[in-house]
Amino acid sequence: MKFRYISKSLLALAVLAAASCKPELSSVNPEKGNADFSRYIAVGNSLTAGFADAGLYLDGQKNSYPEMIAAQLKTVGGGDFYTPFFNANQANGSGYKKLQGFAPNGNPVIGDVAPGAETGSVTIPGIGTVKRLAKYTGEINNFGVPGIKLIHAGVAAYGNANPYFERMLPGSIGTHNTAYLDFATAKPYTFFSCWLGNNDVLGYASGGGVGDTPTDKNTFAAAYTAAIARLTANGAKGVVATIPDVSTTPYFRTVTYALLLATVKASAPQVTALVIQTKSGPRAATDQDLFILPFGTLAPTLLGKPNVGGLPYGLHPGNPIEDQYVLDKDEVALVKDFTNSYNQSIKSVAASKNLAVMDANALLTQYATKQTVNGIELSSAFVTGNLFSLDGIHLTPMGYALTASEFIKAINKQYGSTIPTPDITRFRGVVFPQ
Amino acid sequence: MRKILLSMLVAAPVLGFAQSFQVNLQGQKQIGMAGAGTGLALDEASVFFNPGAVSFLKKNGVQAGISPLFLKTAFRAAGSDVTEYNKSKLATPLEAYATFGSPEGKLRFGIGIYTPFGGAMHWDENWTGKFTVTSLDLQAIFVQPTVSYKLTDWLGIGAGFVYANGKVDLRRALPITRADGSSATAQLEGHSHNFGWNAGIFADAGSGLTFGITHRSKVDATVKDGDARFEVPDALRSTFPTTFNATLNLPATTSLGIGYKVSEQTTLALDVNWVQWHRYKTLAFDYDNNARIPDTESPRNYKDAGALRLGGQHEIDNKFVVRAGVGYAITPVREGYVTPEVPDADRWLLSAGLGYKPDERFQIDLSFLYENVKSRTETNLETNLSGTFKTAAYIPGISLSYKW
Repeated sequence: MKFRYISKSLLALAVLAAASCKPELSSVNPEKGNADFSRYIAVGNSLTAGFADAGLYLDGQKNSYPEMIAAQLKTVGGGDFYTPFFNANQANGSGYKKLQGFAPNGNPVIGDVAPGAETGSVTIPGIGTVKRLAKYTGEINNFGVPGIKLIHAGVAAYGNANPYFERMLPGSIGTHNTAYLDFATAKPYTFFSCWLGNNDVLGYASGGGVGDTPTDKNTFAAAYTAAIARLTANGAKGVVATIPDVSTTPYFRTVTYALLLATVKASAPQVTALVIQTKSGPRAATDQDLFILPFGTLAPTLLGKPNVGGLPYGLHPGNPIEDQYVLDKDEVALVKDFTNSYNQSIKSVAASKNLAVMDANALLTQYATKQTVNGIELSSAFVTGNLFSLDGIHLTPMGYALTASEFIKAINKQYGSTIPTPDITRFRGVVFPQ
Repeated sequence: MRKILLSMLVAAPVLGFAQSFQVNLQGQKQIGMAGAGTGLALDEASVFFNPGAVSFLKKNGVQAGISPLFLKTAFRAAGSDVTEYNKSKLATPLEAYATFGSPEGKLRFGIGIYTPFGGAMHWDENWTGKFTVTSLDLQAIFVQPTVSYKLTDWLGIGAGFVYANGKVDLRRALPITRADGSSATAQLEGHSHNFGWNAGIFADAGSGLTFGITHRSKVDATVKDGDARFEVPDALRSTFPTTFNATLNLPATTSLGIGYKVSEQTTLALDVNWVQWHRYKTLAFDYDNNARIPDTESPRNYKDAGALRLGGQHEIDNKFVVRAGVGYAITPVREGYVTPEVPDADRWLLSAGLGYKPDERFQIDLSFLYENVKSRTETNLETNLSGTFKTAAYIPGISLSYKW
């Protein structure tokens, strides 16, 4: 009897202990510090909208960094957050690129997904033909507009030129006259993020230095000062982000000179150099000249192809690789110079308004070489690096989560808050076919 | 009966947890005394605890026991407000011993089957550290035939040959997103067959004092041509390995034990273990296909570890024995090397036990061991997984023995 009693007690104790005594960690209570996150708005371009894989589509919108930040802000009194989502029928949005597999040589085969939200196009006098996307009506917190430059943010007619902005606006295309910042700040807000300015240099860079010019440095500084003055006019606090060095992205680091030369040499061993067109004439290419990602698919048919004079493409000064396909080393230097100047403006304006700064330039420069986070190797390697989407410039959800985490760290540092950071392992990289 | 026990041992997932992969659950009486027993000639479990003491056992017997192990680990990533727990998975290390030979003679024989190393850690398939590990099942079953010889009235020596049967199943997610949004996975599964030994000296110094010293050898558990199952998109399949080779360096343990019979009813035991983990420098996997992933060599850089165990037993009457113990174990895992499959740290051990002898031959022993592993906050140098681990283990146990 005694044994049964004692043994039963011992067993009961064991079961009780095992069931109830989960190990406890010291509790965390996220604090908002000296900021108010009750209505957060996100101002910015494609990166803010969740643009990825050369398109804006529903899955990308859901994985935008403002969505991730807003989810974390809920722990410190953050309110509802609305992104102008495409509806389920329009989920493919503007259309996007999709990985279909790999060619025998290991190169990724990338296809296109047709748009789901395009509703034709319209010709606007003075602007030209503008695509149209299905309208969004309702609350907006994420004002990310793909393609917008900082210098567009105060232009009243801009809504007639950019379909992503146009779809947010009430009224008809051709009649819009509400500037971007006026629209975004119309409803009271308590906190903002601003990641504008990337497109002021991106268009120049992605076009190989052809077709677009970087925004003048002083113009940028003035426009940035004005934009931040506007965003802080009602007393709101916020976080701003610097502009990454686009020349470190896979868009410029995948189709390397060495790779192109090796490809040519495989069939023409006598070739010693490729020739590129620069602003100061044709010259032999070097490792410092950066070829754009789309040239990778064109190169096999273009390189060596004789022109009417019989000169082989890319192999002779008389028929060089066209300027638009290569950001030569002088242009790379120019891009870096403008980016640095813009970032100085951003940092000094932020400092003058006591805003948090997320140094995206430093972050993406750091991750250009391989970094390990929670067992994942992240890098700027195309497709396999997990950070960049299939367009080589915009991020994957995992990449956006990394920036969201960095935004929150910057906010916590500036405002004494303890907002928890998102878990980047919950977000995906490039989607592979089955 | 031994046959049944043997088949149970082979069939059941024999897993445990204590001081990295080392499991210290080899006898219910000893568990009741915080795992001390090297300096005692207590029962058949001396085959494990001190082969030299087997020749001092007053009777021969057979025993078998089980220690169902509840292990709960909490993890919180740095900067996060979410606490994640490992899955509740019951591990059941078993032990069985038998001794033979005339108790009056000098030469005795024994056999032991036990689980000195193991691990059963299962995290959610989508937890924060999924790209480092999602689950590890590791079991090393040792079979040890033993000879013990009483040199004199006060000195015995013994040694056993160890056949080590190992099994490992390690799983993790890979940062490759499949079409359905899930992550690719990797599973490494393999078996090992290796050998080792266990030897000990036991001395009865008189006046109730006994001493023991033992050494259990290292075992290099080597997996050859294990199955590497990479569940990856078809387009990548041919670039991933299908088999792997790996070696897990299991440490030698040297123990020193003292027993003291305070009175006819009360015995105290003190053990000091020196576990030579320094050999566990890397965990390396050598794959048959390196097109996409290179062979890996994860640094572990363990240092030698130790444990101090103090226990006692008291006979209430000729039927009941109560036991209690306390211990402290020092982790072999250095700062920066904590991994989620063994979130190890220094730990306190508290134990209690009860023995019941309805007659001279039959005996039941119950034990309960509580292990409180200290919380540990750090960033792994290899994976950069950063956060706080806290573990507790609750281990009830029971054994039955029969003496003749």
